[in-house]
Amino acid sequence: MTTFVATVAAVCALAAAGALPVLAAVGLRWPTVTLAPLAGAVVAGLAATASLGFGGPLLSWFVGLAALGAVVVFGLWVVRPDLGPRHATPGTGRGALHRVVGIVGFLVVVGTCAWSLRGLRTPTVGFDARALWVMRPGWFLQSHTHLLVDMKARGLVLGQSAYPPLVSASAAVAWKVTGIHTARLGVTTVAVLNACALATAALALVECGRGMAGRVTRSWVPMAAGVVGAVLLVVVAAGVTEPFLTNGYADPLWSLAAVGAVAFGLQLRDDPSARAAAVVLILVAGTTKDEGFVTAVAVVVLVAARAIGPAGLHGERRRWVAPVVVAAGELAVLAWWPLTVRAIGARGASSTFTATTDLAHRTDATVHGMSPYLHVLVLAVPLAVVGGLLLSRVRRRVGVGNDLWAWAALAVGLTAVGAVLVASKSPIQPWILTTVHRITEFPILQGWWIVGVWAVVAAAGLAGPGDASPVVDFEATEPLPAPTVDPVGVAG
Amino acid sequence: MVVTVASALVAAVALVALAGQAVRGNRTVDAQLSARAVHDASVDDAFYACLDTQAHSLVRPGQSVALGGDNLADVVTMIKGFGSWITVADPASGADVVLTLHDGAAAPGTCLGTRVVGTSRGPGGRTTVRLGTGASVAGQGPPPAPPL
Repeated sequence: MTTFVATVAAVCALAAAGALPVLAAVGLRWPTVTLAPLAGAVVAGLAATASLGFGGPLLSWFVGLAALGAVVVFGLWVVRPDLGPRHATPGTGRGALHRVVGIVGFLVVVGTCAWSLRGLRTPTVGFDARALWVMRPGWFLQSHTHLLVDMKARGLVLGQSAYPPLVSASAAVAWKVTGIHTARLGVTTVAVLNACALATAALALVECGRGMAGRVTRSWVPMAAGVVGAVLLVVVAAGVTEPFLTNGYADPLWSLAAVGAVAFGLQLRDDPSARAAAVVLILVAGTTKDEGFVTAVAVVVLVAARAIGPAGLHGERRRWVAPVVVAAGELAVLAWWPLTVRAIGARGASSTFTATTDLAHRTDATVHGMSPYLHVLVLAVPLAVVGGLLLSRVRRRVGVGNDLWAWAALAVGLTAVGAVLVASKSPIQPWILTTVHRITEFPILQGWWIVGVWAVVAAAGLAGPGDASPVVDFEATEPLPAPTVDPVGVAG
Repeated sequence: MVVTVASALVAAVALVALAGQAVRGNRTVDAQLSARAVHDASVDDAFYACLDTQAHSLVRPGQSVALGGDNLADVVTMIKGFGSWITVADPASGADVVLTLHDGAAAPGTCLGTRVVGTSRGPGGRTTVRLGTGASVAGQGPPPAPPL
């Protein structure tokens, strides 16, 4: 079996595990296709956590959790047929163009993502990938006794082995399913997951443009801008994340997933389908790396706050229930791995922070280290200010979320990473030099996504006001039903 | 009118900036395909595959292993080479085999000058030192450092 065939088999296995929960939560929409392997990767991560905490083979947990998810989904569809994908609320007044743009947008985004993986033709396995991300899968496939020793033995000196499990667990599933235990297969599997996260985040922009159908006179303008912007963002993101996009590192996966979570959860119209997509992406980001965990927790809070909205703050208690329950569930899942590694006393589970070293020096080094990589903010900030001042009415009319949500997520992600650098005991200069280009991927990408969304909103401003929907501030009203939860957008 | 002008301005600036950055991004991806990048990756891969094979020649199934030596870089190299399949001994003193790296000049039977060495203690307390076999990579290490 070649690595290519093994990668396809592995991703299919992951997609099979994640397909039904995603289908039930997100509906039959184009992003469901790229979210399914990511949801399967989350299942693999949870399986690794259960295997570490309770014992039992990882693959048994993986199959068991996937089967449990499928049973719950089928049970839900039997009890509540109205929640099934075939009975979902169809889109109204969107027409053939909306349908065609969905198909074209999906194909060009996925095609561009595949093209962006051409770096895989060079068989690179990154330093950290070989030392941790695609080495640890072997541990997950050992017996529980040996897994505990691997995670706890002080003689192994590898503190990073307590990092969240998603990447290694996905590679472990790939190894077990295919019987090929190579670092290369781990790298290619992670690269495809990266591409899925990238495609999903880019499809958010396509959906953003399509969501304006019927809200402007010439709806093809924002829809075309959405597709063009999505394709450009894919290429931009590939440039930002290479070589790590294709050498097995975990940074691109959590960064891209977090950007997608912000796009679906905070930038698009607030509807249940988009929120469900955000949940999957939040879980991917939060179970991939520590930085992703911190950012994911922040996005959970922000998405819940947006769903509750001003009306919830002014006493509408019913608006609190669903967002708080969903957020609590997400936080519980995210917390499972960190709690488990602490419970077993894993090496590196406790971070060492300090308040006594030269914080001013470390802060200065961190700011100066990060600044050269954040030049996108020089573009995104003024663009957002102009857009916020002059195009807010257009933004509200077409149902796009307030820009400040995305900026809040960017700020929190950046601050969290910066705070860890400042407060840690590790020597700051070498740390900055060797990691800054990776740990700033999220704010860089988020900045570009903000630019992309403003491009689509501005295109809507050029498309003329439609008469199909009134000017409504979606931040302050009931969320709309899922706009087009139909088979890959065919209902229009 | 203001909205139209602002929309045109924002859309133009955003799309032009995205296109410009996309061109740069494309170049970054293309750089991964250079002959040097391919060569470095191949040497790196061959080096760690060589260490893996040599370690396999020194450890029988079921034997517990400790990664020895005082050099942290060597321990990391061993983790990268064969950390995924060894049965780690805890405590290390109870290991059936202690694996170390012997870094020297390029020579036949070495991986870019490095050889895996296994030290085990027999039933009578006799210490046995064996050299890893089964693979070699010509040349002098270390392999080209991949991006951190």
